[in-house]
Amino acid sequence: MAPNHSNENGSIGSSLHGVTAREQIFCFSVEDGPSSQAIRSDDPTAKFALPVDSEHRAKVFKPLSFAKPHMRAFHLGWISFFTCFISTFAAAPLVPVIRDNLDLTKTDIGNAGVASVSGAIFSRLAMGAVCDLLGARYGTAFSLMLSAPAVFSMSFVADAGSYLAVRFMIGFCLATFVSCQYWTSVMFTGKIIGLVNGCAGGWGDMGGGVTQLLMPMVFHVIKLTGATPFTAWRFAFFIPGFLQIIMGILVLTLGQDLPDGNLSTLQKSGQVSKDKFSKVFWFAVKNYRTWILFVLYGFSMGVELTINNVISGYFYDRFNLTLHTAGIVAASFGMANFFARPFGGYASDVAARLFGMRGRLWTLWILQTVGALFCIWLGRASSLPIAILAMMLFSVGTQAACGALFGVAPFVSRRSLGLISGLTGAGGNFGSGVTQLLFFSSSRFSTAEGLSLMGVMAVVCTIPVAFIHFPQWGSMFLRPSQHEERSKEEHYYGGEWTEEEKSLGLHEGSIKFAENSRSERGRKAVLADIPTPETGSPAHV
Amino acid sequence: MAVQTFLFASLIIFSSIESNHGATEVSLFTNLENLLEVTAKPTRVGVVWEAGKDIVRITWMLKSSAKVNDDAAFKTVEVKLCYAPISQVDRPWRKTHNELSRDRSCPHKIVSKPYDKIPQSLNWTIDRETPTGTYFIRAYGTDVNGYEVAYGQSSDAEKTTNLFSVEGISGRHTSLDIASICFSVFSFGSLLVFLVKEKRKAKLQQRK
Repeated sequence: MAPNHSNENGSIGSSLHGVTAREQIFCFSVEDGPSSQAIRSDDPTAKFALPVDSEHRAKVFKPLSFAKPHMRAFHLGWISFFTCFISTFAAAPLVPVIRDNLDLTKTDIGNAGVASVSGAIFSRLAMGAVCDLLGARYGTAFSLMLSAPAVFSMSFVADAGSYLAVRFMIGFCLATFVSCQYWTSVMFTGKIIGLVNGCAGGWGDMGGGVTQLLMPMVFHVIKLTGATPFTAWRFAFFIPGFLQIIMGILVLTLGQDLPDGNLSTLQKSGQVSKDKFSKVFWFAVKNYRTWILFVLYGFSMGVELTINNVISGYFYDRFNLTLHTAGIVAASFGMANFFARPFGGYASDVAARLFGMRGRLWTLWILQTVGALFCIWLGRASSLPIAILAMMLFSVGTQAACGALFGVAPFVSRRSLGLISGLTGAGGNFGSGVTQLLFFSSSRFSTAEGLSLMGVMAVVCTIPVAFIHFPQWGSMFLRPSQHEERSKEEHYYGGEWTEEEKSLGLHEGSIKFAENSRSERGRKAVLADIPTPETGSPAHV
Repeated sequence: MAVQTFLFASLIIFSSIESNHGATEVSLFTNLENLLEVTAKPTRVGVVWEAGKDIVRITWMLKSSAKVNDDAAFKTVEVKLCYAPISQVDRPWRKTHNELSRDRSCPHKIVSKPYDKIPQSLNWTIDRETPTGTYFIRAYGTDVNGYEVAYGQSSDAEKTTNLFSVEGISGRHTSLDIASICFSVFSFGSLLVFLVKEKRKAKLQQRK
């Protein structure tokens, strides 16, 4: 039986394995042996602080430990991602000061907000390749240390144009999402990767909330030393800059690419038969579900990113709060990520246990729609306590929807899993750019109206989830196909490979995955009595 | 988790409930009478004024057209720096609102002096923190309770004449620029150093 090539380090899509947080473990896991593609250290008796599997990936997740290399990689990864979120949204709580200093109009501010999330659309896609080629350490360190100069260059900004350019360049560092998830995927085994990635993703996203507290505080302290506000805000940016440099150095010195060592000092074993990028790309793009997820994530994560940019200014202007208080309120939005995103993933898993994939889709739709409805309410709330309540409920709904979405994503494709995850992630940034451009970049709508309209748009753009149909599992409103062939998971995942490829046995990984995904039938999974074909391909094609 | 959200929400609600004491008088700008004559004369003419440097001579007094007891209610005069319409375009945080408590067009307070029947004046150095923009001066006559009863401004009713432009400070400092460059170079440099070091280490390992 040909080895499972698509799981190898370096093969297309492997950079984003685990990103979706719902990677399946295989019945026939890769064994120790000559056919194994795992990168081996020179010392086979390497001792690890945590119990490991055959690939030396940790089998246990201990969040309070900093043990080398697994937990250390986890903490370095999520804190780097967290730091980048701080930098990207550091300007948002200080906008009331910056807009006076640079004589910005609402259009300028809105455009800069769009720019701050647009850069990451491309950098997230590129980061996958960087991690494959250079390892997660360098991917993270590049992201941190090459964008740190952009953070410092806020001290040079003199007008709207330079402000926009700097925010655009800082936004590139959000690619650490990919490197962080890649790093945890190579360090933790499939069974627990869901929880690990959910935590890493959620805790990193919290940075968008923490920055709303941190920056006004730093600004205030600097003003106390006697600086004018127009100098103090520039100096305040040095703090996220320092954090990035410090994290970059820590990642390079304390981090390790793989459980057994660093990429460049280890030797690769065996032949690497990489999947063709063109094929992987084609199957990702051809699958309509990819694009539905792209839109959906654009209105869960996208809305979240937009709110990170506008909410502090909204509370400052509409309710006459001080910069400091507006920051606290805005921070609570981002901080909810700590439990909301993992909760969404958990809710999706529970729904799947009971109702299969249909349950996951309904959970996603409910969470995202409810979140969007509360967003509409937030825009319409005219008293502070109601606005805060609406905002908190909105934050939980939307962030849980982010987690729930990555409960569905891994099942859309097995061959193009990494690329789909990357595209979905990019969709989040794209959605944020679109909503900021439409609703928060001109004086056509007040910010309050913009919030409500964004909520309406999110409700509408969540409806496409009803169109996600899996022949083997059904969709929100349709039952699974009764057709003998199409109702099998193997048919769906096998369909991504050509006959030629199947004859070479390249699709084995997908077949194994299909077998494991039978859990998405819900309670009916135990009743399914579909025999697993020996060769993995259907008897007649 | 739902319980936590609920508790947090109720905490916010209960701690923010404001009780309305007494009568709420809503001062509307349209209810005010233009009884004050305000002039603003620069000490330097023909140039854009710089915040923190240039001086404006502001004078205010009761209009000659005012009737005898019009100023009976005046206790203090509050002189404010207000944005001209051009500085309000596409900037909703500077919007003019008829309800004075919600009006955002005059956020910068210049001075607050007790009202005197004789004309008063002030040599005001433009505040260092004044943002770049086009302005005019307005004076509100307030009563004993602090509510505005009359006003006067250096511009006309449409706010088109006698406007002056102020150039705010940039907030940039050479020392900040230098520090920024130093740290950026350090960031690039340390990354390069690590890359080179590890490549050398890898080469040594390969040779072994």
